Amino acid sequence: MRVWDTSHLLDDIPANKSAAAEHVYDPADSQANLHRIRLHFKQLQTRLVLGLVLGFLLPNALLSAYFHFQFTHTLKESAKLNLAAVAESQKNTIDLYLQERVVNLYNLFHSKDFSLKPTQEQMENSLASLKHFNDGFVDVGFFDAKGIQIGYAGPFPSLLGKDYSKETWFQTLLKENRSYLISDIYMGFRHIPHFTIATKQVFDGRTYVMRATLDPDKFYIFLRAISQGKEVESTLVNHQGQYQVVDPGRSQLPGSSDYVPPMTEGSGVEEFARDDQKMLVAYSWLKETPWALLAMQPVTVAQAGMIKTRLVLTISLIVISLLISAMIFFTIKKLVKRARRMAEKGQQLQEMLAHASKLASIGELAAGVAHEINNPLAIIMATSGVIRDMLNPEFDLDHSPEAICKELSIIDTAATRAKGITRKLQDMGKSRVPKVVECDVNGLVEEVIGRLKKVEFKPKHLEVISNLGALPPILAEPEPLRQVFANILINAGDAIADKGTITITTEAKEGMVWVTIADTGKGIPPENLQRIFNPFFTTKGGGRGTGLGLSIAASIVKYLGGTIKVNSIPGTGSSFTVLLPINEQARKTIKQHDE
Amino acid sequence: MEKKQREFKVLLVDDEDVFREATARQLAVRGFIVITAASGEEAVAQVKNDPPEVVVLDQQMPGMHGSETFIEIKKVDPLIEVIMLTGNTSVDNAIELMQMGTFDYLMKPINIDELLYKIEDAYTRKKLNEKQQREAGL
Repeated sequence: MRVWDTSHLLDDIPANKSAAAEHVYDPADSQANLHRIRLHFKQLQTRLVLGLVLGFLLPNALLSAYFHFQFTHTLKESAKLNLAAVAESQKNTIDLYLQERVVNLYNLFHSKDFSLKPTQEQMENSLASLKHFNDGFVDVGFFDAKGIQIGYAGPFPSLLGKDYSKETWFQTLLKENRSYLISDIYMGFRHIPHFTIATKQVFDGRTYVMRATLDPDKFYIFLRAISQGKEVESTLVNHQGQYQVVDPGRSQLPGSSDYVPPMTEGSGVEEFARDDQKMLVAYSWLKETPWALLAMQPVTVAQAGMIKTRLVLTISLIVISLLISAMIFFTIKKLVKRARRMAEKGQQLQEMLAHASKLASIGELAAGVAHEINNPLAIIMATSGVIRDMLNPEFDLDHSPEAICKELSIIDTAATRAKGITRKLQDMGKSRVPKVVECDVNGLVEEVIGRLKKVEFKPKHLEVISNLGALPPILAEPEPLRQVFANILINAGDAIADKGTITITTEAKEGMVWVTIADTGKGIPPENLQRIFNPFFTTKGGGRGTGLGLSIAASIVKYLGGTIKVNSIPGTGSSFTVLLPINEQARKTIKQHDE
Repeated sequence: MEKKQREFKVLLVDDEDVFREATARQLAVRGFIVITAASGEEAVAQVKNDPPEVVVLDQQMPGMHGSETFIEIKKVDPLIEVIMLTGNTSVDNAIELMQMGTFDYLMKPINIDELLYKIEDAYTRKKLNEKQQREAGL
């Protein structure tokens, strides 16, 4: 069984209702199509650019963020380690310096000038010996077990004979097991800031102390000399945070540091704020005395390298991202532009093709019209030739008025036939002004059957069976709809040679009215099935068919928003199903309007 | 138009009964022996049973089309000349007909004198072809 559906076929029928008008090349439509294409490609471009840029930037940004944090952390740690190394190195140098000074002093107990009751000369020699090792020594003193300075050499001779038994450093040295002591910075009897290095030695059960003071200015210079690193500020503090280094020329004890290092660890690095500036501080406790070396550096300086590198990396990343985004944008823009131009050309070609196809269809239509009109014209000419022959005495034919009238009536019939064809063509070409009313499809079908039974179906033995189901009224023009059913029913009758059955079934389903007209006729060969809706296609000979009936029916049904389906088995019969939309909503609207 | 007896047989094939009869009558009074057929199938049967000298054949017919009928006629007797009647005005169609080997074609509606001359020419060529074939056979 071959099935043919007119819903797609109708678009190709040139003579269909307003189809011709629809298919005619229209510059306004063309502009609208071009506008649609441009809009489509613009949206495509935006989606592509966004998709690709996001697809590239998002993972890139995530990866960059990860590396950024890792990098920052590593470099911060690196800055801390660097400052800690500086502090450690300086601490070691100071420890070594102090150890050397202690050893210098201690050696005096074993020098040739040593005496438990030293003379001034011996003391001067001892001071000279100390200065020989280091010019930071200011003076030297020798104390008996009671704390009386029994020998002194240096710039403060008034100190000779002074009792130091109440001095903190003296008491601490005697109390502790250690044989030496380095004091915090203090004013003492001389009333200027200084610190003391003292050693003790027991002779004959009595403890004697050798003490020297170091020049704070020289110590300050020494500390500055060993300082290293950019903007690294090094200083010494005791466990209370008091500075143990005095600025040169200063005659007062130094103040306290904003930062007090914790006593718990030997060294460490911390951040602290000083005068609204974030500082990085590395501390390292000395071995020889409870002082901590502080190496301080502004965070911005400590991490300058990192910040600079990070800035370069960030800028590079942004520039690369922008470059790639721009590259993506311009490449996509170029590609989309090319694709759009191709699509526009394709659209134009399609329109030209549709136009050309329309012209070809018009040509086909003209050929069909010519053929159909030429046949009755041929009859007219042939019959007028016959009349002329009748009137020609040479042929000696019957030229009675009755005989001539008979021929003239043939001419009339042919002329009427030609007129019918032109009228049908005009009807097809007319743009129908819709006069839609509510139609009772069953009523129309019965009306048409009744009419056909009187004339067209009369000569044959046709059984017409009507299975008309309950149908809602549909919106349509009654006369064209009658014509649809009449054309299909006439074809059904023609398909049956003499005896057969035509069954008409109506039903409402899927929002449509289904009218099926089935016959038990000869059926339609598969090769003709695609052509039956073409104008002027007919298999009826002898001038009985114009080939316009089904074409007109398809045109009307399509106009009403419906379709025609065809099933046919050659030798068994055909079945035409007309589907018409019920369109409930529109029906209600019109009804309300009429009311 | 002088009346003369041509005494050769012309087969007129057309599904339009009225046209066929009127044309047949015009040809008959002009001295042709006219036989008619209403379809391609009928025409082929006629050629087999009672071969004409010339066939005047309508191109557009239901059932067996004019072109198919032409091929079948030529199969029965290749020397029969066929004049095709057509309602199609296209050049493509005219070329197609000539390429097929029809003697000539006429556009409907036809002028009877024009048809007359073409039938006579066709008859003349048929006789010439028969003569040539006979001579070639000898």
